[in-house]
Amino acid sequence: MRLARRVLPVLLLGALVLTGCKGAGPAPRKSGDVVGIYSGELTTINYLVTATTAEQSVAANCIDCLVEYDNLGILRPALATSWEVSPDGLTWTFHIRKGVKWLTYQGKEYAEVTAQDWVDAAKYILNPKNASQTADIVYRVIKNAEKYFNGEITDFNEVGVKAKDKYTLVYTLEKPVPYFLSMLTYCPFMPVNGKFLQEVGDKFGTDNEYLLYNGCYIFSVWEPHNQQVFVKNEKYWDAKNVHIPRLIFKFNQEAATLAPELFLRGEITGAGIPTDALDEWMKDPQKSKMVRPAETSFYTYFYAFNFNPKFPAEYEPENWKIAVNNLNFRKAIFHALDRRAALLTTDPYYPERMINNTITPKNFAAYGGKDFTQIGELAEISNRDSFNPELALQYRDKAKQELAGKVKFPVKVMMPYNTGSTSWTNRVQVVEQQLENLLGKDFIDIIPVGFPPTGFLNATRRAGNYALMECNWGPDYADPETYTDPFYPGSNYNWPEMAEGYLEPNGKTKYQNMVDEAKAEVIDIGRRYELFAKAEAFLINEAFVIPYSVGGGGYVATKLEPFTSPYAPFGVSSLKYKGQVVLDKPMSTEEYKAAYEKWLKDREAALQQEAAKAKK
Amino acid sequence: MLKYSLRRLLHSLVTLFMVLTLVFLLMRLLPVEGYYGERADKLTPAQKEAILRKMGLLDPWYVQLRNFYLQLLRGDLGVSVIYRANVPVKEILAAKIPYSVAFGLGALVLSLVAGLAMGIHMAQNKGLFWDKFWTWYVVFINAVPGAVYLLFIQLYGTSITGLPMLFDRYNVRSWILPLVSMSLSGIAANAMWLRRFMVDELNKDYIRLARAKGMSSRAIMVKHVLRNAFVPLANYLPASILFTISGSIYVESLYSIPGMGGLLVTAISRQDNPLVQALVLIYSSLGILGLFLGDVLMAILDPRIRLEKQGGAR
Amino acid sequence: MMTAKEKEVIQAIEEQELFTFAQYDPEAAERTGYSDYSYWRSTIRVFLRNKTAVFLLILMTSLVAFTFIQPYLPGQKDPIKIHIDPNTGLQLRNHPPDKEFWFGTNSIGQDLWARLWSGTRTSLLIAIIVGIWEIVFGTFVGAIWGYVRPLEAFLTEAYNVISNIPTTIILMLIAYILRPSFQTMIIAMCATGWLGMARFVRNQIVIIRDREYNLASRCLGTPTGRIIVKNLLPYLVSVMVMRVALSIPGTIGWEVFLTYIGLGLPLNIPSLGNLLNEGRRVMMAPALRYQLFFPAVVLSVITVSFYVLGNAFADASDPRNHF
Repeated sequence: MRLARRVLPVLLLGALVLTGCKGAGPAPRKSGDVVGIYSGELTTINYLVTATTAEQSVAANCIDCLVEYDNLGILRPALATSWEVSPDGLTWTFHIRKGVKWLTYQGKEYAEVTAQDWVDAAKYILNPKNASQTADIVYRVIKNAEKYFNGEITDFNEVGVKAKDKYTLVYTLEKPVPYFLSMLTYCPFMPVNGKFLQEVGDKFGTDNEYLLYNGCYIFSVWEPHNQQVFVKNEKYWDAKNVHIPRLIFKFNQEAATLAPELFLRGEITGAGIPTDALDEWMKDPQKSKMVRPAETSFYTYFYAFNFNPKFPAEYEPENWKIAVNNLNFRKAIFHALDRRAALLTTDPYYPERMINNTITPKNFAAYGGKDFTQIGELAEISNRDSFNPELALQYRDKAKQELAGKVKFPVKVMMPYNTGSTSWTNRVQVVEQQLENLLGKDFIDIIPVGFPPTGFLNATRRAGNYALMECNWGPDYADPETYTDPFYPGSNYNWPEMAEGYLEPNGKTKYQNMVDEAKAEVIDIGRRYELFAKAEAFLINEAFVIPYSVGGGGYVATKLEPFTSPYAPFGVSSLKYKGQVVLDKPMSTEEYKAAYEKWLKDREAALQQEAAKAKK
Repeated sequence: MLKYSLRRLLHSLVTLFMVLTLVFLLMRLLPVEGYYGERADKLTPAQKEAILRKMGLLDPWYVQLRNFYLQLLRGDLGVSVIYRANVPVKEILAAKIPYSVAFGLGALVLSLVAGLAMGIHMAQNKGLFWDKFWTWYVVFINAVPGAVYLLFIQLYGTSITGLPMLFDRYNVRSWILPLVSMSLSGIAANAMWLRRFMVDELNKDYIRLARAKGMSSRAIMVKHVLRNAFVPLANYLPASILFTISGSIYVESLYSIPGMGGLLVTAISRQDNPLVQALVLIYSSLGILGLFLGDVLMAILDPRIRLEKQGGAR
Repeated sequence: MMTAKEKEVIQAIEEQELFTFAQYDPEAAERTGYSDYSYWRSTIRVFLRNKTAVFLLILMTSLVAFTFIQPYLPGQKDPIKIHIDPNTGLQLRNHPPDKEFWFGTNSIGQDLWARLWSGTRTSLLIAIIVGIWEIVFGTFVGAIWGYVRPLEAFLTEAYNVISNIPTTIILMLIAYILRPSFQTMIIAMCATGWLGMARFVRNQIVIIRDREYNLASRCLGTPTGRIIVKNLLPYLVSVMVMRVALSIPGTIGWEVFLTYIGLGLPLNIPSLGNLLNEGRRVMMAPALRYQLFFPAVVLSVITVSFYVLGNAFADASDPRNHF
């Protein structure tokens, strides 16, 4: 086990060779411009404050991080050329790339990127006056950062981020964080030029002229509610891997509806195909060749059983509480939910790829060349379909027997949904009818209740105002630990700690003890992953939740070549256009699937290579 | 009249003050979670507090209200907090108003010209085919929600004529459909009103006298009927001109015109309080001003009308 | 031969009979002012003369009647039920109109024909309830505003303030505070709908109250109650019926607008606004345009009919058109 490692330029060479296999030589590949339409205008481009994906996407393309992911999901050096970590895992030293320049929106050189820029960024984020929505990400790991944010200490020198010299940056952590490197690919760990920040003050990030650029693109034109233009940064340190010369986005309120038509007319290079219009495209011999599945995300969707029901008396919360504490009752629903049928509301053609059998999605984390979902008991769970009508009926009969006289049948199941989402509204009706038909209307009575998009989660999940509900969670860093947060005491998802019969002698629940044990293991990553896999398997086997699907997905007609964009489980790398190419014509589903197979193999090989390197 | 005007304007200020205060308080009723943005689920309490403090929402409401009025007295409309964080409201509006005014004035002119022509045509053919034909147009436009017919105009308007679907300010052809769409209801209203006015007016004694004197129909139309028709027209024209600022939510979003239409709805749903306040201020004062100017203009044009007698509920 | 005395007696009798003072007889007095004019009969007569209006009235009545009896007809489908394709076992999505599904199915396999009528039912119900509320509450406030002089200044000011607050703010606030539902929709629309009616009634009352014929009635000693019932109400009632007829297209328009900005009814409740919005999403696909077309046609027929009927009734109820 070697914690201290040095990534040498040799590795960088390796990365180049890897992309080289796919046709990229030293010179950028030939590529057209990206032309797209969008319906939501950016509210700010201040990447140190915003937590909105669309806004972070600007930063991802305009500002570089210390490290970045390549298209196979391997961490590569970016603005840091190499780094070391102390044996106790607390001190990380980064060597900053020399000669990288901050440019204005007109492409003029402003200053050089130095280690101090990361210190200034941290100082800005940790100032509560700036109300950064990502500040917690910094202050949860960096030493004394939380105290500084809360005003308990006022001297910023005590915070664990320092510029040792012009090109040496040192982060000191509160406690060892095995996934620290992955966090550095997220916006709050991007650099900012302190002098510029002071110069523009409150205006920072309000317009493209109030931002400095050191990434692959420069935000050169921004006319809100009209258009956004990004041009390639010719002075970018890795310019040869940036192939698309310009990104042009035009505003349209009805972008989602109009995009497919505009794509057919050749006015834009890519469009999401809404589920409603998908049949039209799939049945047309010409159009069907242009449409392909879109990449899925690392959001995990699951149906949660609520152990702390707080819904109105008309839905009989007390009755539900008794029912939900019965394992066979939960398992009956667990095995009765036809996830494929439910997924048809979002993906009618290829729903299988969306199905997620675990909470942590596939290809999120791997150790020793093995995907996390294939470790230990999780392997069995992730290789089968939870939908099993016979098993469901068996459990139903058992539950009926055990609960007879204790519970009023049919058990009312209050299932909230967001009235602003068409697919969710459709899905809740599909799920209601599917579950009731299978388990019988005398067993459960699913009652969908609509809530408005504004304040939706506060009115439903966070208030415990549901019985069974579709919930989701996105990762905060590249480690399986992030997927345990919703089920750990203190969270407001489904309160599994209130389930009866799982308390252990130390006063904590079995699940909590399992997670605590895994969290404590910060040195041996292999064992850490095994412990997390065990905890997750327990959560699923005891049917506290029903894993359902991953996020993203859908269909696109796009000339962008798939699998060339950075692949990252977390952070903003995957939002980059770096490495991507606009083809002459869009890929069909078959070509896409072939490319996907190839990518899976490449990734497998790359993971093995990394694992071998780590062992050395 | 001056005294009356002053009194009325002063009274308007009181109304305006109450409107703004009420809206201010109403907006504070919205759930506080609306301010937290996309990561609301993961923010720590300290962060949430920092966000609210930055927006000044942690002060007691009367302090917030006082700050708002003090700022307004300095002529400052405030700074947007969510819609475009940290950008002065003035800048946001300055970029949008020209589009809405351009389209609004164009549509206004179009609806006046076409609407009055249609009204005259109807009155002249009273009870005949064209009268009925145009009446059906008026009925249709008035009865069917704009969301429905505007959609079909865009759908078939672009596919039949080949006009562009999206607005592009440098392409004159892309102005046509939005302009037409925006003027349809104005045409209907003007036509209907002028027809009724003319039918009533033509039955009046002074017209009969003029006819008996041997005046030509055309001269009667121009000298008497149309001239009198402009008096009530003058009453609502100022408000119409001022309100071109607000834009059209349907048309602007269908053709993606970066104007003011829909800004209020967005501002409210994003809970951008300063922006909402600014918009309410603008719309309310324009509404009050428009009515006032209309009355003054009418009084100037028609000596029979005396302003002092008016008032009451408008 | 009559004696002089006899003559005297006869004269006296005749004088008595010929020149007695007539007693006041209300019935007889009424008869002098009698004509066979009946307000309502004339209104109906004038209305029936308008052929278009009569046709639309019949069409409308049958349409509304059909809307409400449709679910009880044989062979009708449940508007919520998701139909499954027996061949594939999947949802019968976007199935074009045919013998089985007259108006086709939507994107999750629900019968559009059933949804359309269910939606019309919902929207009409909202419109009618809001219309009635407008009359009741609007007239009440309007009457107080017009009659009770001490309250006039206050109500005028209140009206000025409320009418200057953008309706959107009020509607959105209600939609945020309450859950979107049938009731919320009605509450939201009721909260703003009565304003116009109140002002209208108030203005009418102010105008009518001082009209010459009312003045005359008052001079003749007609009691106030009688003035209200006989002079004011017929006119106001007819105007109110017209307002309701016109408010129905208006309310449907608001429903569509609210749905458009995302504050409509929950998507699982079919309504004209929701159906239209669903159709709008697929309008770029020519084969699916039927999903937009059918709701748009039904909505237009309803709104146009009510609009024309309202105006025809207004014309018919105007006494000036009765001769």
